[in-house]
Amino acid sequence: MLETSLQEQLKKLIIEELNLEDIDASEIKDGDPLFGDEGLGLDSLDAVELVVLIQKHFAVEIKDMEEGREALASISALSDFIETRRAGVSGQ
Amino acid sequence: MTSKNDKKWSSRSVGAPWQHRFFYFLIRLGGRHIAYPFLYPVVLYYLLFKPEERRKSRYYLDRRFPGRQGFAALKDSFRMIMGLSRSLVDRALVGICGPEILHTEFPEGQRLADLANASEGLIILTTHVGCWQAAMVYLSKLKGPVHMLMQQDEGDIDRHYFEHSDQENPYRIIDPTGFLGGTLEMVAALNRGEIVSIMGDRRQGSEENSLAVDFLSAPVHFPAAAWKLAAVTGAPLAVLFPIKTGPDRYRIELAEVIKIPKQDSRPIERLTPYLTRYVKALENLCTKEPYQFFNFYDMWE
Repeated sequence: MLETSLQEQLKKLIIEELNLEDIDASEIKDGDPLFGDEGLGLDSLDAVELVVLIQKHFAVEIKDMEEGREALASISALSDFIETRRAGVSGQ
Repeated sequence: MTSKNDKKWSSRSVGAPWQHRFFYFLIRLGGRHIAYPFLYPVVLYYLLFKPEERRKSRYYLDRRFPGRQGFAALKDSFRMIMGLSRSLVDRALVGICGPEILHTEFPEGQRLADLANASEGLIILTTHVGCWQAAMVYLSKLKGPVHMLMQQDEGDIDRHYFEHSDQENPYRIIDPTGFLGGTLEMVAALNRGEIVSIMGDRRQGSEENSLAVDFLSAPVHFPAAAWKLAAVTGAPLAVLFPIKTGPDRYRIELAEVIKIPKQDSRPIERLTPYLTRYVKALENLCTKEPYQFFNFYDMWE
């Protein structure tokens, strides 16, 4: 339940903050790629904002391309990444 | 900055590996005093017998000196190619003999140091002008690590200055051909208050990630990444031009310091006025030092 809520939260955040006005949250599938020609079609300039947004809203940092490849693959992957990082912090 | 790479330029070296090694040998033997004279036959060879290389210099020179033809145009090409060749010798000279071999002045060096000391992150915007290795002495003294967004094409055999003495690269290289063009590494570095150096005049990817601004009276697509990074992270952007002022002398010009408010980060067209400040500074430089701008491809295409 919590995971679904985070995924919806992420979709809403991306649409609002990246000004994707012509897309509705329901149109974004959880497993669709965020970057590239397929899926949401974000580019590297969008990535600059997305990374800062994730840090600002969820206090989770994506530091390099290895983490980025894992975290920014899709909404599901991003949600899992945030959850794992948060669990790691709270478990310390 | 994106996987859809349609860049028009290449960092591939013109000369053969042995030619480069020959000049490294000359520099070790007697520094620039021996290496510089040998540049004349080499430059003349490329100028007279390699029309494709001469043609590459005309893209910029025809914009800078419109209508120039015949011997005057040939002389312009010679001066531009010679300027680049001397810059490459200077780059190797710094690597072999150390940055102190060049007498570099930086009148506003303290201002750059203050920006770095503020720990807000700092973007140093460089350009294919002069020889940025001349700025080494100053950059190495700045607070915090310096990350460089730097691509080396296959066939680029011209060695980076630090490779000459087998020393460890003092800078952290970010590969623009990596995932999302190195964006994640650059954002992380700026968030840590560190310094990121980016070339401002060559586009890596598609036009989607660029902004068109008139440069020498016609539109050129300049990369938008540095401007977007500055707006989103709040890091100031410092425009540096290392200009050759004598055989072994350089002056670093801090042409602009630009701070971009967060609200101007989107849409990217709102970044255009800031980019225009950089392009105007570059035009001023091309007016003062027309043979120190080293782009040998059609930026206006």
